[in-house]
Order: sequence, then structure tokens, then C-alpha cells
Amino acid sequence: METIDRVDTPIAGVQQSNGAFTVTGTRQEFRSKAEMTRMRRQKQAIREYGRGRGIDVNGVRDKKLRRNLTNLEDKYKAATLKTKEAEILLENQGGFLEAETELERTYKVRQDDIQKDVAIEAARGKFELKLKELGPYVCEYSRNGRDLIMAGRKGHIATMDWREGKLGCELQLGEIVRDARWLHNNNYFAVAQKKYVYIYDSNGVELHCLRKHVEVSHMEFLPYHFLLATLGTNGQLKYQDTSTGQIVAEIATKLGTPVSMTHNPYNAVLHIGHQNGTVTLWSPNSSDPLVKLLAHRGPVRSVAVDREGRYMVSTGQDNKMAVWDIRMLKEVNSYFTRTPASSVAISDTGLTAVGWGTRTTVWKGLFSKDKANQEKVQSPYMNWGGDGQHIERVRWCPFEDLLGIGHSEGFSSIIIPGAGEANFDALEVNPYETKKQRQEGEVKALMNKLQPEMIALDPNFIGNLDLRSEKQRQVDKDLDAPAVDIAEELRHRMRGKSGALKKYLRKSRKKNIIDERRLKVEEMIKEIQEKRTEKLEDKKAELGPTLARFARKD
Amino acid sequence: MPGRQAHGRSLLPGPSGSAVKTAKKNAKKTKHSRAQATNNALDAFARASDLVPERLPKGVRTRDLDEEPEERNQKRQRDGDDDDDEFGDGSDDDDEDEAPRKKKPRKNDDDFEGFSGGSDSEGNEWHIGVDGSDEDSDIDSDEAFGDSDQEKFDGYSFGGLAAKKGKRGNKKVGSDEEEEEDDEDDDDLESLGSDAIDLATALDQFSEDDEPVGKKVEDSGLSDEEDGDSSDESSDESSDDEDEDEDDDDPSRLDGLQKFISAFAGDDDEDIDTEPASTAKPKLSLSDLGLHGVKDAHIKKSLKLMNKEERAVKAGSSKKLEVPLAKRQEDQLLRSAAYEKTSETLERWIGTVKHNRRADHLMFPLAQNAHDAGLDNGELQPITQKTSGTELEQTILAIMEESGLGPTTKPEHKEAGAPGPGSGLSPVELKELQRQRRREREMHSREAARAKRVKKIKSKAYRRVHRKEVLHDAEAAHEALAEAGELDSEEEREVQDRRRAAERMGTKHRESKWAKLGKKAGRAVWDDDFRAGLTEMARKNEELRRRVEGRTGGGSDDDDGDDDMSDASGDSGDEVTKKRKLLAQLDKAAAYDDEEPQSALMKMKFMQRGELQRKKENDDLIAQIRRDLDSNNEGDASDPEEIDIGRRQYGMGDQSKKTAEKKESNDAAKTKERPSKSSARTGVVQLDNEAPSVPEAEPLSPAAPGAAGAWSRSVKEGGRKSKKETKAKVDELDLSNAAMLATRSSKMKSSAATAQADNNDDKDSEDEDAIHLPLAIRDQELIKRAFAGEDVVGEFEREKAELENAEDDKEVDNTLPGWGGWVGEGVSNREKMRHKGRFVTKVEGVNKKKRQDYKLKDAIVTEKRVRKNDKYLASGLPFPYESHQQYERALRLPVGPEWMTKESFQEGTKPRVLIKQGIIAPMTKPMV
Repeated sequence: METIDRVDTPIAGVQQSNGAFTVTGTRQEFRSKAEMTRMRRQKQAIREYGRGRGIDVNGVRDKKLRRNLTNLEDKYKAATLKTKEAEILLENQGGFLEAETELERTYKVRQDDIQKDVAIEAARGKFELKLKELGPYVCEYSRNGRDLIMAGRKGHIATMDWREGKLGCELQLGEIVRDARWLHNNNYFAVAQKKYVYIYDSNGVELHCLRKHVEVSHMEFLPYHFLLATLGTNGQLKYQDTSTGQIVAEIATKLGTPVSMTHNPYNAVLHIGHQNGTVTLWSPNSSDPLVKLLAHRGPVRSVAVDREGRYMVSTGQDNKMAVWDIRMLKEVNSYFTRTPASSVAISDTGLTAVGWGTRTTVWKGLFSKDKANQEKVQSPYMNWGGDGQHIERVRWCPFEDLLGIGHSEGFSSIIIPGAGEANFDALEVNPYETKKQRQEGEVKALMNKLQPEMIALDPNFIGNLDLRSEKQRQVDKDLDAPAVDIAEELRHRMRGKSGALKKYLRKSRKKNIIDERRLKVEEMIKEIQEKRTEKLEDKKAELGPTLARFARKD
Repeated sequence: MPGRQAHGRSLLPGPSGSAVKTAKKNAKKTKHSRAQATNNALDAFARASDLVPERLPKGVRTRDLDEEPEERNQKRQRDGDDDDDEFGDGSDDDDEDEAPRKKKPRKNDDDFEGFSGGSDSEGNEWHIGVDGSDEDSDIDSDEAFGDSDQEKFDGYSFGGLAAKKGKRGNKKVGSDEEEEEDDEDDDDLESLGSDAIDLATALDQFSEDDEPVGKKVEDSGLSDEEDGDSSDESSDESSDDEDEDEDDDDPSRLDGLQKFISAFAGDDDEDIDTEPASTAKPKLSLSDLGLHGVKDAHIKKSLKLMNKEERAVKAGSSKKLEVPLAKRQEDQLLRSAAYEKTSETLERWIGTVKHNRRADHLMFPLAQNAHDAGLDNGELQPITQKTSGTELEQTILAIMEESGLGPTTKPEHKEAGAPGPGSGLSPVELKELQRQRRREREMHSREAARAKRVKKIKSKAYRRVHRKEVLHDAEAAHEALAEAGELDSEEEREVQDRRRAAERMGTKHRESKWAKLGKKAGRAVWDDDFRAGLTEMARKNEELRRRVEGRTGGGSDDDDGDDDMSDASGDSGDEVTKKRKLLAQLDKAAAYDDEEPQSALMKMKFMQRGELQRKKENDDLIAQIRRDLDSNNEGDASDPEEIDIGRRQYGMGDQSKKTAEKKESNDAAKTKERPSKSSARTGVVQLDNEAPSVPEAEPLSPAAPGAAGAWSRSVKEGGRKSKKETKAKVDELDLSNAAMLATRSSKMKSSAATAQADNNDDKDSEDEDAIHLPLAIRDQELIKRAFAGEDVVGEFEREKAELENAEDDKEVDNTLPGWGGWVGEGVSNREKMRHKGRFVTKVEGVNKKKRQDYKLKDAIVTEKRVRKNDKYLASGLPFPYESHQQYERALRLPVGPEWMTKESFQEGTKPRVLIKQGIIAPMTKPMV
């Protein structure tokens, strides 16, 4: 495998003193071109779709296990190769705006020019909504990018299907609105109002008032866990399961009024930016932050995490935009913003939109997972604004080359070539879904719902081996917990007429496992039977010798 | 025995018939035997060797028996057939001599055959028996067991006895036969010294042996009858026997008999094995196999040897019969043999079973049992020379090729086709032809190309015309800048000049699109225009270098006219030259007429017309451009503002540098460092992150360390520094922070500084729309001040240190005061100290160095276990796995369709056993 890429590389060697050139690292074995390309493809596939390093099969002692593991590795390999080959089915290609000459700059290109040159359908994506009175608007797209919700600070809520320009519902709530979010689909949305969080349906009917969420300033919805996470101005982080309605976790961040929040789509960990320049990472399972990063010297105004959960971009009051490698927990680069950037968003293709002051700047290539060292980008990709509207929030429209900007004068949707994922996965989210598909998708999503306990920094931990030592386990064991009373537990698990005990016994008899539980159950049953026979005897005695035969067991 | 004969004949053709038959036989046999005889004669050695082993067993026998001649006689009789074989044909007189001798054995044989025959065709034998004698079987038995050994032994040789026996045998066939065998048995037993073997087993053995004998006899009989005996099959043998009997009885037919015998011998010669068969030999004969005329000497030899061996064993039967094993032992042996056999057959299935056990999927009904199992469903590949494997295919291919139908002919044709038209031409001519064709092609698009050129020139002119307005705007902006005190006209201009020069020398121009394209196409070789451009570039390069070193250049900035990029730079002085150049180009374009000879196509009328029209259009265009340029001439008076603006615009491409420079130029203290810095930079624009920027940062750093923190420091300094200076300081934000922390190394500092320096560039690049401005700077300063006093970094460090200490390993002193020592007043300090660390327990935490964030300066990672996650952890390693890596790896392959292709998904979820419609039959043969 090592020799794969040596085809193109020049021959390495050492120049000797006598003029001889000793060649090192030659390709010893001959491989046909086809073989080489095959190997190269394999390598590429593994790099892109591989699932971690394989294990050394040769070290396995058990023959059968060795064979199974070898088969498994082969399966992995075949699967990755096939996935790579299936790329041919991705018929749409993304592309970016490119400068023709050295002196041309993509950030000089104006929206009007783009709109003129793109296809009609794409050009329709650029629009502007002038809503001057109800002031700065926050905006959010639904997961499939079809619907848009705009929430004005002064209580104006509007949802719309932006493609068709159809208004879904419009509300005037008459109180301050801090944030608005779509839930799992475009049928429900949550609005953080002055005091509580409310959930509305697509027609604008108020469905719920979440009184436990007080003075919420930021909200996030975790679509795979059906969790609505809210962050109050008092620093309380609350998770509510929107499918069951239960509050999953209430955590005090203890870092004062938070400034920003986002979630990592890869592992559903929340990133919260604080006043003191730290970004904390939270899961509903621990009362302490999983990680605390010092990203800025001043309040962290905005945080965004890329789709793959590798990089985080944060902007702070200290006029800095920091790019972090979230897995290594290291700052990759930091940039200067002219004014503190109020909002950051990262698109599917890795474009980063930064809203600062009255402008929005889009950066390309701030990070790239393929490079070992992230290079510092010298100039932005695109630019917009400067017309006096203060940017409140920037959000990318999924699957479209559009950037939605909520600002003080309404909402603008601008075209940023190459921003959207070109090929959508209908198994995941379908921007063109019908009503039926939406319904089915909802059911499916509910069935595949992940438990809040599954949230961790490494989402692949599930099923892994518990590596604690026995000693530690004993220590960790909650000794104060009351012993589980099997009998009581079984008694309370009454199901149907036949009784939990019998059912249990019936089922466990099939298995030849005799454990404490089973013994206990059998004992109980014997007891019951004895009681019954006793009762029968009593009855018989009562009826007398002649009529005893009519005594019934019941 | 005529009576018997008569009886026997009742079922068969009459005696005369038999005589006829024998005669016929003889005739045939003689014919046959002639050929055989010669063979036999040649086989003298074989015969001789045949004889030799005969004597050996005799020797054995003589040891046992007293009478040698008798024995010998008997021996002869026993082997009479053989003797006949050997000598019968060879010499007639020998036959004569033997004939009388022969009679007895014949009889004997008859008898013997009679027994066996009796078992075969009972009816016939029965008659004989009834007829032959009334003698009881007791006698036989008496004789068998009671008489002397010799008698018993020679039972066959003594005629009377034989006759008796024969009669007796006829009476009760089966038992007699057995007893006969018994006799033999007894002989053997006696020869063995009458070992204590139970009779039953021996009898068993022999009864087993007998059956094949019977068969053999029948076979031999059949072979005899083959010669055209019309008698029915069932009575073949008996009839044969009868013939012999007749011979015995009728002396009148002696001649016939002799003939017959000789014939028989001859006949026997062929079926060597048939006669031995009569002596109970379970061997197939050649005749059985239908091979009468075997002439191969080798085969015969080997056959004879085999025969002899058989006989030798037979003769020395004392050796052959060993003590049979006990029933149990025998069974055991049989069982083990059977076991071996079965296990051998079963072993053939092991591979299949293993394969099926390991298979991921099994499908029933088996493909093996499918109706099209053995058929190859694969598509037939076209036969080529490579693939044709069989001879047939190859021949067919050859034939096809010969007739011009082969697969290889096509490409050959193609190859032949290419030079076909020019086949008469020499390569030089061919090349010429190609060149001409290319020229024609070019010519065709020449006008189009010309139009393009003109258009390009026009666009340049056009731009020039329209630039004026732009320049005016820019000028206004520039003035505004100047007013704001941003521009230091003289100095700044010089700096920019230099920078520009450097940049032009840089890779940017040399690696411009135009240059690259040209290089790629090798245009310098054939395009004069391009070559001129190249030389121009080289010249300019030289000049620029001079200019970079000092202001030696002519001051007039060159135009980039021939650059396709045509950056809108242009000093006013250049304007004229530029225009001149443009005009020259136009002239060239106008004069761009084709002197080349016209091709046939181009000579055609309509082509010429089209060309003319295009040319006219182009000319018009050129004229218009000229007009434009002329009209511009007046307005293009040089003015200094334009220069600035021009530069400004030029700089847009590389704003970072420009602005940086501007800033620096404002900073009086730094101006002297400038030249070297800028020159260092120009070479490696993109290498900002690396070395060159480090020295740049260093002069800045000394200012940094004194301060306490980012925000606090800027508060202190903000007041006394001018706006522009603070702008420079903004960059030191990080640095100062770094400096504040005592723990940070100087190395870190420098790296931070470099990072900051980078920031410099970017920041500036960001505010490209030219508002890099005091206001913004003031804002930042304000921001800094607003958050001043918050020692964010310090707090973070402290928090981290605290956490590290809190979670570190700890030692707890559990010593109780008063436990094992006195407390209270009057206890000396020394005593107290002694008791201090007596019961120390170590509480394990997380070692500082083992923390996940040990090497991360800006991160705190919690080391607490997230208990809720434990729910989804495996408590123990599942059985087959040997390490948790193996187990976890096995879990990593996702199953859902979301993560893999449909194919691999289906593969992954396919059930192990698939049952399809059809009859599920067991495996007929091993699969592997």
C-alpha cells in the first residue's frame, strides 16, 4: 500500500561523493496500471468513507475469530469501495464563484451581477423583505430548507415557504421575542418570548407554553433526540423532550448570562459562548461542561460548528474570529473582524458567513479537513451589505446557494454560489418532500429517536467496552440504593389476567438459566400454590365429607 | 453308460447328433488350435516355467503321502487339462498316450463337474444319479473319513471310487459336494497336522468358496458351447459331460475321442482359465471377457504365471488355509475395514460441510440440483487470437483470417487505411500535406481570429475611454484621504512605486495567464507578437529590478499593454506610449493579410465573399477604435491624481499590502525598516505565516510585555497613544496577553506575535472597501477599554490549575488525635509530629500529566465520568473477542441504508439461509 502514490513522485535518492546516485525507496514489485489505479481508488475510498483503522488480524489466536474478523475487514473494504463508486450517482456538482484573472476578486461581485447571470430558478432565491418597524429579525430555516421563520424583536413572527413566496402564518405577539426555532419539521416552531417559550403549529396556533423555560434568550433543537434546548438569561440550560414533553435536564451553567449558543450537528453537544470569552460544551448528562475553551478575550458573540463537527468558528467582542479544531481542542487560526461580529454560520460546503455591523462577509476555506495545516485565508469569498441595516443573524439555507440574513430592516436572502450541498439525501432530509413523505418521515424519526443519554463528545461510544476496573466499579456503585426486591417488582408488573409471576415463569422456563430471580419466583409460586391448596382444604372441611368433592379450586 | 446317456438325451439331441456335434467341434477346434499351437510352441519357456512349480507342490505332497506314482498320476489328472493344453496340440502321439490316462481323470472331472453341474441343473443330474448307482452315501462318507488317507486323497484318481462318487454325488448333490470338499479339507487338515480347528468354520469357508466354482464351471461350459451347440442353455453342461462320458464308455469311438480331446485341448488352450475353473478357481478367464484370440505373448505369459500361482497355492493348499480367525476377531476386522471405507467416503464431504458452515449465505434448493446445473450461462466472448484456447477455435480463426474475416483484420485495415491515400507519398510529402491542411484550417478561422483581436483592442480602448469617470471618482476619494492625513504624497508614492515594481517582477506577472498560456503552446517559437511581448517583459524586469534597488528607473511606468490582464494601472506618462502601442497593434491587425497561398476551398467564391465581409467588419472596427483613440488623445492629458488613483486601483488586488504599507508609512518610526520588509514580502506573498513575518513581529513585541493584560494594558496605553499607533497595537492583543502570563514561553510569544502579524494582513484585507479608518480603530480601542480589567486569560488559567489540583491524587491523613498517643496539654511538639502521618490513605484522582488537557493551553476537559453514558457501555468483553479493540471494531460497521449503498446494505442484511421455491433435494455430491 505504501507504494501506491510513488508513481508520480520523483525518484528519491542520495548523491554519493563519487557521483553515484543511490536510489532509495524504489518500487520493488511490478504492478500493472490497472492494479495501481485500483489501489489508489481503494485508498481514496478509505480516506473518505473509511471507518477508522482496521485491526491486526494476524494477532488473533482463535482461528474462527480470525476468519470472522478478516471477513469483517473485507466487508468494510467492500462497503467503502462501493460507497465511493456510488458517488457516480451524485449527479449534481457544486461549484464556487471563481475569479477569471489574478486581479479579479470574487468579493467584488455584486448580487445584482450574480442574479443577472444565474438561472431564473436560482435567481428567484434572492429576495428582500422590508420590515422596518418590528426591528431586528432573527431567521431560521427548517431542516430541509423549505420553510423560513422570521422573528422580529418586537413580537412579529412570520413563517413562509420562501420558494413559493407563500406566507405560512403571521403573528404579532406583542411582546419581546428573543429567538425562534423550527422543531423537527415545518409543522411546529418554538418561540422564546418575554417570559416563557411557546410552541406554535404551522397555522400559528399556540399549542404549548413551556413555563419551565423562563426568560429564554437562545434555543436549539436537536432533531435526532427531539430535544429542545433553551438557555435562559440566568444561565439555566434546559433540555425538554418534545416528543414526550419531559424535561430531560436542567443545568446551571454558572457563568452568568450567556451570549450565544449553537449545537454540534455531529454529536448534539451544545456550545455556549459566555461573557468571559469561554465557550463551554454541554451534554444533558453532566452538570459540568464537558469542555471549556478560552476562545476570546471578550464575550463570545456567536458560535457555529461545521456539519461534520470538526471545526468551530466563534466571534467575540474582542474583534476576533477564531477557528477551532473541536476534536483536538486547539485553535487553528484567528481572524480579525472590524466590528464584533454578531452572527456566524457555516454552510454545508464549509463557507462561513460572518455578519458584522451592517455587513456580511462570506469566507471560503477557513478550514479544510483534508489539510494537515489550515492555511490562513487572505481575502473573503463574498461580501454583502453596508447599506445601514444592522445584521442580527445569518443562516444558510440548506441545499440552496442562499444565505438568509435577518437584520434591522427585515430579511434578505442573497445568492452565494457554492454554499449549499448539491446532492441531498432523501433518506435524511428531503427538500421536495410531499405531505405523505413528511408524515412518514416524522414517524420514522420518532422511531429512530436517540436517547438523551447517548449524547457524548464521541457519539460512537455506544456499545463500547466499559474499561473501568472492577475496583472502580465497586466504588462507583451506589451503595445507598435500596436493594431491588424481585418479588415486589414482579408483583407490580401485572400484565393481563394470568399474572406476571406465571408469565415470567413460563417464559423463563424455556431458558435454562437459574439465577436468583428465578429461584425467588419459584419460591413465590410454591407459596401461592400452598395457599391455594390450604384454601381448598378449608373449603372441603367446610362443606363436610359428603359435599367435599364439590369444593372448587379457584 | 448308455442308459444314462439315453436319459440324458431325452432332453437333448440324439447321440448321433452329439457325435456330429463333436465332429464339428473338432473341425473348428483344429482350425482354432492351429493358430494357437504355433503360439504355444513359441511359448515354450512359458510352458516350461509352468511345469516347474508343479513339481514343487508335488514335493510337498510326497512328504505327506506315501505313494508317489499314484499321487503323480492323480496330479496329472488334476492338471490334466493343463497338460492337454500344453501338449495336446503339440504332438499327436503324446495325445494318444495320454488318452487312456485321460479317461480316468475325465471321469473324475466329470464327476466333479457333475456335482457342480448338479447344483446348476438339477433335473439332469438327478437322472444321472438315479441311473448311475444305488450305492449309498454312507459308503462315501465311510470312505471319506474312514479310509486311508491315500484313498481319500486320491479320491479323484481312482476310477472306481470316482465312479462311485459320481453316482453318489448324483444322488444327493448339495451335500455330496460339500463332503467332497470336506475330503479335500481333511487332506489339508491332515497335512497341517490336524490342527484343532473346528470343522464348522472350515465348512463355512468352503461352502463360500464353492459357489464361485459352480459359476465358473457353468461359464466354462458356456464357452464350450459357444462353438455352435444348438442345445438349450440349461442343459449345456450336462450335454457336454455326456459327451465325455460317451467317450469314456465307447472304445469304438476312441479315435473320435482322441480327436475330441486334442480338439478340446486346443480349445482349452484358448480358455486357459476355464479348466482351472473346474478345479475351483475363482478367476475370470479371457474367454469370459470375450477375448479368444489373444496373441500378445506378454499377456499370455502373465496370465500363465497368474495361473500357476493360483495352482501352486491350490496344490500346496496346506499353506493357503490358515487358521481362520475367531468370529469376533473377524467381525472386528471387518468392522474396522468397513469403518475405514465409510470414513473415507465421509471424508469427501468434509470440505463441503466446512464450506457450508462458514458460508455467509446458503441457498436452497441447491444450485447443484438445478436443471441447468452444469451448463455455462456465461456469455460467449468473441474469439480472438488470445482467447482461442482449443485447436478447433484456432483453426477456425486461422481460416477466417485467411479469408479476411478474422478479428485482427479490421484494425489492420484501419492502419492500412490511414496512409492509404498518401501511400504513394514519401513521409516528407506526407508531412507537407498535413501542414497544408492545417494551414487551410487556420486560414478558415483567420478572419474570426482577427475579429477577436480587434475586439480585444477595442475593449482596451473602450476601457481607457471610460476609465476617466472612474478615475475621477477615485480621485475624489483620494483627496478625501489626503485631507484626512492618510496620504503622505511623496513618500508614499515612492514606496508604492517600489512595491509595485517589485510585484511586477514577482511571480505574478511571469506566471500570468498570458505567459503560462504562451509557454504551454510554445508560442514563442512561431508567434512574433508573443516573442516581442516576452522580450518586453524581460526588459521591464530588468528595469524594475533597478527600480527596486533605488529610484534609478526612468520614472515612466511601463504599460502592461501586452498583458492580457491589462490591469488598469497606468501613469499618465505611459498613456501616450500605450496609445502608440495600441495603434501599432491596430496597424498590425489591419495589415494582417494572408499572403499564404490559398487552398482550393478558400478559392471558392462564396468563401471568399464571406471572408471579405468579415474582413470589412474588422476593418470598420479598427477604424472606429482609431477614432476613439484619437478623440481620447485630447482628454487624456496626464494629471497627477490619476496616477494615484491608478495605483490605488492596482493595489486593490493586494489590499493587505497596500494598507499595511500605508499604515506603516504613517508610522514614522517604522519607515526605515520598510524597504527591506516589503522586499521580503513581495517575494512570498502567501508565506506570511512563516519566517519572513517573524522578524517583522519582533520589533513590535518589545512594547508588549510590560502590560498586565489585554484589556487592562490597552486602558493604560490607550490614552497616550495616537490613533494610528493604537491601530498598530491592536495587533498585539494576543501578544500582550501572552506576555502577561508568566508561564508562557518566549517561543509561544513569538508564535503568537506572528499570528498577530498575520492578523494584520487579514484585518486589512477585510476592510477592503476602504474604511480602514480611524473610526474603526477608535472603536476597537473603545471596546478594549470597555472590557478592561477582566483578566480573562488569567482567570481561565487559575480555574484550570484549581481543577487540576482538585482532581489530582490526594493523600488524606486519617490519624485521630489521641489514638496511639497522648493529646492535650504538655505533649511536646515532637510527639505531635510523630503521630501526624500515621494513617495516610491515598485517594486516587487524575494525575495532572494524564489529564486530557495537559497539553492544551486554552481548554479544560472534564475528567469526571459521565455516568449516564454507562448505560450504553458493554459491561464485559463478549465471548469470541480477545480484545476490546476487536470487539469495538466489529461494532463499527453500520447496518442502516443511510450509511452505505443499497447493495452493501442488502448484503449485510441478507439472511443466512435462503429458501427459494422448488424442491429441496439433498446434495448429490460434494460441492467442494
